[in-house]
Parts: sequence; structure tokens; C-alpha cells
Amino acid sequence: MKKEMDVDDHKLELPDLEAKYSTSITKGLVGAVAAERLLRDGPNELRPPRGTPECVKFGRQLAGGLQCLMWVAAAICLIAYGVQEGQGDRGSADNLYLAIALIAVVVVTGCFGYYQEFKSTNIIASFKNLVPQQATVIREGDKLQINANELVVGDLVEIKGGDRVPADIRIISAQGCKVDNSSLTGESEPQTRSPECTHDSPLETRNIAFFSTMCLEGTATGLVINTGDRTIIGRIASLASGVENEKTPIAIEIEHFVDIIAGLAIFFGATFFVVAMVIGYPFLRAMVFFMAIVVAYVPEGLLATVTVCLSLTAKRLARKNCVVKNLEAVETLGSTSVICSDKTGTLTQNRMTVAHLWFDNQIHTADTTEDQSGQSFDQSSETWTLLSRVVTLCNRAQFKSGQENVPVAKREVIGDASETALLKFAEVTVGTVSEARGRFPKVAELPFNSTNKFQLSVHTAGDRQLLVLKGAPERVLERCSTVMIKGQELPLDAQWREAFEGAYADLGGRGERVLGFCARWLPAGTVAAGTDPEALPEVAVGLCFAGLVAMIDPPRATVPRAVLKCRTAGIRVIMVTGDHPITAKAIAAAVGIISEGSETPEDVAARLRVPLEQVDPRQARARVVTGAELAGMEPGVLEGILRAHPEMVFARTSPQQKLVIVESCQRLGAIVAVTGDGVNDSPALKRADIGVAMGIAGSDAAKNAADMILLDDNFASIVTGVEQGRLIFDNLKKSIAYTLTKNIPELTPYLIYITASVPLPLGCITILFIELCTDIFPSVSLAYERAESDIMHLKPRNPRRDRLVNEPLAAYSYFQIGAIQSFAGFTDYFVAMAQEGWWPLLCLGLRPRWEDTHEQELQDSYGQQWTFEQRRYQQYTCYTVFFISIEMCQIADVLIRKTRRLSLLQQGLFRNHILVIAIVFQVSIGCFLCYCPGMPNIFNFMPIRFQWWFVPMPFGLLILIYDEIRKLGVRRHPGSWWDRELYY
Amino acid sequence: MATLNEKKTCSERMENFRRFVWNPETKLFMGRTLINWVWISLYYLAFYVVMTGLFALSIYSLMRTVNPYEPDYQDQLKSPGVTLRPDVYGDRGLQIYYNISENKTWERLVTTLQTFLTAYTPAAQHLNVNCTGDKYFIQDTFDGPNNTKLSCKFTSDMLQNCSGIADPTFGFPEGKPCFIIKMNRIIKFYPGNGTAPRVDCTYVGDESRPLEVDYYPVNGTFNLHYFPYYGKKAQPTYSNPLVAVKFLNITRNVELKIVCKIIGAGITFDNVHDPYEGKVEFKLKIED
Repeated sequence: MKKEMDVDDHKLELPDLEAKYSTSITKGLVGAVAAERLLRDGPNELRPPRGTPECVKFGRQLAGGLQCLMWVAAAICLIAYGVQEGQGDRGSADNLYLAIALIAVVVVTGCFGYYQEFKSTNIIASFKNLVPQQATVIREGDKLQINANELVVGDLVEIKGGDRVPADIRIISAQGCKVDNSSLTGESEPQTRSPECTHDSPLETRNIAFFSTMCLEGTATGLVINTGDRTIIGRIASLASGVENEKTPIAIEIEHFVDIIAGLAIFFGATFFVVAMVIGYPFLRAMVFFMAIVVAYVPEGLLATVTVCLSLTAKRLARKNCVVKNLEAVETLGSTSVICSDKTGTLTQNRMTVAHLWFDNQIHTADTTEDQSGQSFDQSSETWTLLSRVVTLCNRAQFKSGQENVPVAKREVIGDASETALLKFAEVTVGTVSEARGRFPKVAELPFNSTNKFQLSVHTAGDRQLLVLKGAPERVLERCSTVMIKGQELPLDAQWREAFEGAYADLGGRGERVLGFCARWLPAGTVAAGTDPEALPEVAVGLCFAGLVAMIDPPRATVPRAVLKCRTAGIRVIMVTGDHPITAKAIAAAVGIISEGSETPEDVAARLRVPLEQVDPRQARARVVTGAELAGMEPGVLEGILRAHPEMVFARTSPQQKLVIVESCQRLGAIVAVTGDGVNDSPALKRADIGVAMGIAGSDAAKNAADMILLDDNFASIVTGVEQGRLIFDNLKKSIAYTLTKNIPELTPYLIYITASVPLPLGCITILFIELCTDIFPSVSLAYERAESDIMHLKPRNPRRDRLVNEPLAAYSYFQIGAIQSFAGFTDYFVAMAQEGWWPLLCLGLRPRWEDTHEQELQDSYGQQWTFEQRRYQQYTCYTVFFISIEMCQIADVLIRKTRRLSLLQQGLFRNHILVIAIVFQVSIGCFLCYCPGMPNIFNFMPIRFQWWFVPMPFGLLILIYDEIRKLGVRRHPGSWWDRELYY
Repeated sequence: MATLNEKKTCSERMENFRRFVWNPETKLFMGRTLINWVWISLYYLAFYVVMTGLFALSIYSLMRTVNPYEPDYQDQLKSPGVTLRPDVYGDRGLQIYYNISENKTWERLVTTLQTFLTAYTPAAQHLNVNCTGDKYFIQDTFDGPNNTKLSCKFTSDMLQNCSGIADPTFGFPEGKPCFIIKMNRIIKFYPGNGTAPRVDCTYVGDESRPLEVDYYPVNGTFNLHYFPYYGKKAQPTYSNPLVAVKFLNITRNVELKIVCKIIGAGITFDNVHDPYEGKVEFKLKIED
């Protein structure tokens, strides 16, 4: 699939071509043959690859690691319910509720995940609207209009301005035909199409026009050489849709840790199942224990928390013009270590602009900023007066009417890119162009053509005529005999020629398109109105050279700073473009992708005056690699180059090569972000760990393939994304640590219940309330936490080493904070039991009698006798008390999780308002659950005594103090044993 | 991410795991050096010692603060539970089925009653005092021996025909069985608000159908002088007063649902969530 297109049709002579496709370049195919070929090759359209059925996708969402466990737990609940119902037990409806709740949790999270996946729509759909509907074809000598999807190889087709090219065609004849290849190559400039083969590469030669590109002007006749999925666009489409969407780093992290959690849950469950069986519990009870342990240990709300945290960041990014399509991509940007950026439109403004001028033997720099806020050059010289006049007059471009109030840079212009640039430049520097043109009415003109390579016009200027000419600098210089320096016309001698050559080479070396300008005053009537334009060049000799103007698509003003920020953040920016190497290098140097003082091997060779082969690659930090070089490389060489040169620019690359570059970076272990706008970028966008498409300039295909869209097309927005991505990674860590902690105080009641046979301290339904109700908001609120340090000065995380959930995090949460919470819960539990009549020592081993439904007169420590139901409500009281204990400790927990290293006081205890609200909310929910009437019989919450709220508080305080001590140690002794073991 | 997604074969995974357990190059055992393991174990040991100490301290201070005589709260004990003897549980609740002609089926029930009443022999009750007043036996001081309070005597002979003295078979073979109703004790609970609570047995759902019952003691009342209960520590020899009911006209070979309620102020029997609160329901079937 990644193979380059191997087409040689452009090199074949017409008779060979006719023979190859057994067709005629005058009469076209015979109808029967065409029908036969249509049958053989299939219709000329893009076919979507066969996708996974929707129900399978949905099914997959319901069958993850945790989900499977929950299904098992629900099944056990249902079985237990069924058996108990059969035995006529009271109170077994709890198991039914629990099963329903578990299934609901799985299905709701599954729907959520499915919706996320569903949103990343079919890529092929976006290619559909590129494909033409109708085609003019010549068959058996007759011109027909047929549906474009009926075209076959060998068909003779005609195209004209405004048509979409109906297939890949080899041009046989053309009249002024120009096509817009931007959807394929990303270059927006119209390309001439003619019958001559001008290049070895089929992508660059002029005699092939590609399926779905737009014919802008002229007409052409051609022979269809490829149809449907075998066309270039078809290959890109199938490349893009065939590329597997890479799992995002955060997805890998979460999967990694869900696997561990699920494994541990099964391990704990199975262990205590065995323990219960050994102790002598019946099989069904042991199964229910297993289920309860799974429910207690699995963090049911975690996936929802992660999703909500990510979508909060996505929202925040959306306000900063980054729209995130795939939620997980939010974090991916944060771990990005390489950004492969397209040039045109992303790093540059995507408009030709006058960048430099050379007159008075001096290079002047023009203002290239988007809003004309930059410095202008000295305009006092008389040479400038002449040059500006030539620029103004020798220009056929004009503004569309009715745009007087629009800033010049934004006005729409009729004319090609260079003329537009010159027109806008003139309008800004000299003043209203139309007025100047009015003062010097045009007498005659010769438009630009590729043989002359210049354009000239003659204007009436009072009692004289002014001849102005612009064109390729060497052609212009041929026609000059003088040069204007500071208003003086000096003879054009060898010294000036050398100066000119120097300036020309200098500007050309900056990747700029250079035009020469000259003029000559003629006596009135030298050129009469209506003179044949072909006669004009004869007049245009002995001209006075005014200057050179160099144009470039300039970098966006914000880009250099953004690139620098990326560098400080340890992110490598690689330019991958379809443009010329020289231009690419110049822009790369301008924006800082190639930093000041870095040299390419070519530069080193030139400096040391040695052949290129002798240059030590280590001496050259930078390197420009062209698509042609890439094509010739052995596999693995590219990785070597990427490793050897930190600053890379790839020029003249094809869509396949972009894909190869991305994959090479990924093989080096990098997390790669790709920015792009064209159809040609879509495979690389899809392949990248995060594809970033441009919102304004981007094609639909690119936007569909991307994970993120920059609404303002501004590279600098990526930096914001990186910052937010890193922040969310840190904050997710905190959220997860918070969420995991409470699993221990949820689990220990069961362990103690099974081993010490105390009345059950915490029920499964209560656990679900903690997981899915009270603790969700606080864990989400941690996503609003500010960064603890300057995250943009750190290197991107190493996806192998810096895990989301690491050993210290789990150990600290589970075995320290979780343990303190468990002690708090049990203290409160024993308090509530003792104060109601059940002293701790009596509780131990009490379970069999406590849970005996036939025992209606169980004596407590005071000799009072309790019925089963009275004990059940007492048990609910314990649930509630334990629940409140966990909540109280979780308030302390959410506070300590605000920071991992800084002291709470340094971070600001109440600066995160959402967190404060979350705590209030959590307490309110707790109160509601406890004191809302009817709760005891619906959700097993009892209105507990007020003072039991305070029992766990000292433990909460202990958590706060202990964590402050931990953080203090971590801050004071970085790298120490303490830091290694207790910093997560 | 290609590097992170590499599919590993099973043997590679095993090898990785083995390397994790013991890495001979770095001398790491399960990701740590042995000395590091010692340190971390010591740290956790210290941590848990401190935490357990704190926990023990909390429980100790809890036990220091609870009142040894009566619980701080009786939130779940608003109304006493009621139990029945003999207590045989079937699929759903109490179920007393027996066949007159098969001695075995009722001897078991009789034994239950006899065993239960051994706690009410004069010998078993000799520490308790004879009470006569029909008022609550309120004791603000510890008048009993060893700093306790006095308890009233309840002996089985107070159950007259159902005492098992005159008729050791409790009327089971005649199809007129005795049942004993007991009310759970709750500390400082004053049932009846001055009038003695009494037992009232009816058919379930059909209160108009006459159920001929003899109650012992007369009227099926729990004498007030057994209340209030002052707790195990204050009244170690306290025994619950009983009421025996003797059903006289039980239709043979039919399953009958009978409920015995305790009627008295402060005793509720309409709690839908607790079938044993203030009442006891059972099924009775006598075959012949």
C-alpha cells in the first residue's frame, strides 16, 4: 500500500500509449471494449473498505477488562438472587438491585465509549465530494456525456476550465490548460498541463492530470490511464482509511492499568473465595463474596472520570481554537515529542508576499507581517519612486470591487499569486493603485508568457510614454543598458552586473521568487494604441534597471515563538512539505526549525570546500531531505538520519513518504503529532499519534483524518495544546490516585467480614454510591488544578517510563492513605456498633448468628434482644457510618491530591473553586443520602447520629499532615530513598 | 507508538516476568534490591504499627466512654420483637406441622417447650424476688446483691395448663397445643403505658372467624412488674415474662395462619419491614 505510484505512461510516446491501452487517440474506445473493461476493473469511483459492523463495535465496548468483571459480578448477583428467592429468603432483592445497577453501569459506559468511537466518521465519505459526476468522453469517434463512474482505462476524455478531472489522464493535447493540484500536493498554485513529459516523476510531470483535481482554465484532451481506487487520489483515500488508527498513549496507559486492576480484582476475589470455602462458607456465599470483592475493588467510576476530565480539557482547548475530535488526543499532545508540520498554511501565511527588494545596490526588507505591523524600509530614494511605479503599472492584477473598507492584506484579488503580492505591496507602500493606473493610462501591453518570461506595458505619462517591464531577472537584465542608483542613471557595467548577480543569488538562496523590474521613458506616440503586442519587445531595449523584488510565502508571526516554545518543551519540530527544498529550508530557518548557526551537510561542504560525501554528519545539526532522496533510501536509513540530525526538513515529499516519515519517528519511540491541511496529508494525519488539521485551509479529508482541528490555522495553538495535554496528564494522575485510594476502605470491610466474621460494615450498593455518585465530582474537579511547576520547561514524558499509574502511586494510595481510611471507617463502625449496644469483642465472630434470618432474639452486649430486621437496620447504620467515614477521609484525600510535590499552602487551599464546590456537593449528597426519608429501604442508608460524622475527622487530619510530611521530604531531598518511594 | 504496541509472545512474557522477579544483572528482586526491600518493609511495618496503635487507642477510649449499664442509643429498638416457642421454621417463616397419630412429629415440639421452660423452674429462678404489685418495678438504686438490681420471678407454673407440669405433652396429642409467646427485652422500655400489655391471637386476614384461645396467665398479660429491664449488668438473673396460648378449636388437616399480637401502648405491630416486631405469625397444621 505504501508503494509509490509506478506509472511510466507519461514517458511513453503516443503510439506506444495507444498500443498499451489498445485504444485510439482520435476515436477513443469501442463501446463494447469499454463495457468489457468496466466489468473487469469495476466502476471509476472510490470504494470504502469493509468496516467492522456497528453491533460488533458496540459489543466490544461492553467487553473490556473491567466490563467483563462487572458482567460476572452481575451474573453472580442474579444467581444469588434466584437461589435465595427460591429458598424464600427475605432481603435478597438487594442482589437484584445490585445486578441491575452493575449492568446499568456497564451499559452506560459502553454507550459512552461507542458514541466516542462513532464520532470519528468514515474517511472515505470526505473524499466523495471531490469526485466528479459527469465526463465528456469520445468513444468510436463520437463525443458523449457519461457518468464519470463509467469511465474505463483507455477512454479518451476532454476536460475544460471548471471541470473536475474524471480520472488519472495522460494529456494528449492541451490549450492553456491549468489545474489546481492543491488537494494532492498541497501547493495551491495552478499548474500548467501540456502534452510534453517534463519530469521523471509522474507526480511532477506536466502531461498527467489527476483524478478529482480541478481544471481551472483552458481545455485538454487525454487518455484515461487509471480509474477508481487505482488513481492517485484513490490510493491516498485507501491509504488514509487503511491506516489503523493508532491507540493513543493515554488509551494505552488506561488499558495497562485497567488490566492490572482487573487482574488484582480477580486475584483478591479468588483468594477470598478460596478462604471462604476453606472457612466453611457454602459455595453460593463464597461466590457472593467474590462478587462483592470485585465490586469493591473495581473503580467503577474511573472511566467516566477520565472521560469527563479529558472532555473538560477539550472544552478549554476549544475556547483556544483547538477543536478536539478524539478525546484521548487531548493528552497525546502533552506527550508529543515530535511534531511533523506541513509548511504551507501552517507555518506560513499561505499567501505570496513581497519580502525583499534590491535597489540602490542594497537589499531592503519589506514588512511581511499579517497585519502590517512590522518595520518598513527607507522609501526616500528616487530609485524607489521608479521601482514602485513599475511595480504598480506593470501588473494586470486588480482588487475585486467593493472592498474599500477591507484591510489590504485580506482583500480578494483577480490575478495570480505573484501579481497579487505585488499589487498588495504597492497598495500598502505607495497608495491607491487604481488611482496611479488612472494617471498613467495603458497604451499597450504584452502579457507574461513562458517563452518571453517577461511582461511589459506602455503607459501615457503626460507628454511622454513610459515603458515598464518585469520578468525573470536575467531576461530583464538582457534588455537593460543602464541602472538607476539613487536617482542617477548609470551605465550598466560589469561591476553592476556582478552586484546584480550577487543580489539575485542571495534572494534566490532564501527560497524567494525574484522578479526584475525596469523602465524607459519614450517620446509621446512611440507606441500607438492598439499596437500588436508581439511588436512590443522590439521597443523594449536599452531600458533602465530599477530593481529586484523578491516574494515568498512568509512565516506567520507567531510561529517562531511557538517553535522556540516547543524546543524548550523538548519537542522536536520537523518540517514536511511538498515544496521546493530551498524554499523549505529558508522558511525552516526563518521560523527556527533550523536554528541559527545550524548547518546542513551541504553548508558544511561548502564552508570546508570538501565534497559532500566527506562531510561528517555529526557536524551538521540540520538536514534537508527531498522526496527523491527518500525514495532511494534503504529501510532503516531514514531512522539513522533522524537520529543524526536534530533539525530536519523534508521537501518534495509524497503522501506515502509523509507516512513513512511519521512511522520512522514512531519507530524511534517518539509520540508524533502531524499537522497538515491537504488531502495528501490525510494518511499521515491518521497514522500520527495525533493528527492536527487546519480549520480554515484544511480539506475535509484532512479534517476527518485528524484528531484535532486548529480553527485559526495557527501553529502556536499547538503549543497551548501541548501545555494543556501535559497539565491533564498530571491532573489525571491526581484524579486516579484519588479514585484508587477509596478502593481499599471499600475492600477491607469484606476482608474483615469474611475473616473475622463481623457484621458487614459496608454494602455493595453503598460502594456503588461512593464510586458513581459522591466521589465523581471531586475527582473531576482535580482536572481544574493548576500546574505545580512550569510544565513547558520539562521534556515530554517518556511513554515507557513515566506511566500514568506507577508503583509509588498505587502503593501510596492503597497501602498508606487507603489504610488510614480503612482504620477511620472501622473506628467509626465500632463506635456506631458499641453505642447501639454491640461492643467490638462481641462483634467478632458474630456474623453467623447476626445473619440468621430465624434468629429473632439475638442478645447484644447489654442483654437486649434484637429481631433480624432490627439487626438489618443496624447493619445499614454501619454501612452509612462507614460511607460517611470514607467521604470525610476522601475530602482530606482530594485536598492532598491537589499537589504531588508542593505544599498545599504553596498551591493555595481554596484557589481551585471547582474543588471547593465539589467538596460541598459531596457533603450535601452525603447528607441527602443519610437523611432523606425512605432511604433505608431503598438504598440502605440510615439517618445516622450527627456525632458519627466527626469520628473519622481526626483520621482525615492525619492524612493531611502525613501527606504534608511526605511532600516536605520529597521537596527537601530530591532523589533520595524517600523521593523514590513516595513520590508518584 | 509502534514500539509500545509490540505483541509479545508468551515465552517473552514469561522471560520478562522471570527477569522482573530476579534480575541477575542489576541484582533486583521484584524491581528492588534486597536492602531496599528491607527498608520498605521496615517503613511499612512502622507505619502499620503506628496506625494499629492509633486504632487501638481509639477503640480503648471508645470502651472507656460507653456506659456499661445501658447503651447510648437504641435507635433500632423502638418496639420489641416477639418470639414463639416451639420455633420451627419452614420455607417462609414459622411453620408448626404435626400429626397427632405420629408421636415423633410432636414429641420434638414438646421437648422444645420443656427445654425452654427449664429456665423458669423455681430452682432456676431462686435468685429472683417475688413481685406482687401490678405496677412498673422501678429501681433507681442497686438493691440487689453485688451491686445489682432485683429481678422479678417468673416460674413456669404461672402458665398453669401450659406449664408442662400437669400436662407434660402441652396438649399436643389432643390437638389443643400450647404455644409460648415471649417479648424481647429492651432496656428501660415501659410497655403499655401503665396498663399491662396482653397477647391477642387471631387468624391472619380473617379476624372475625372465632379462634378459641386460652391465655395463661389470665388475659394473656405480661405483668408490669417485669418492666423495665435494666440490662445484663444490672439484672443478671432477669428472665422475660411469658404468655402461653392454648388453641382449643383447631380444624384438623388444614393449614391455618395465626398471628399473635401484643396489644399495648408503645408496642407497634404494623411495621411492614419487620414481621416480628410486636407480633409473631405462624402456620399451624394438625393432621390425624
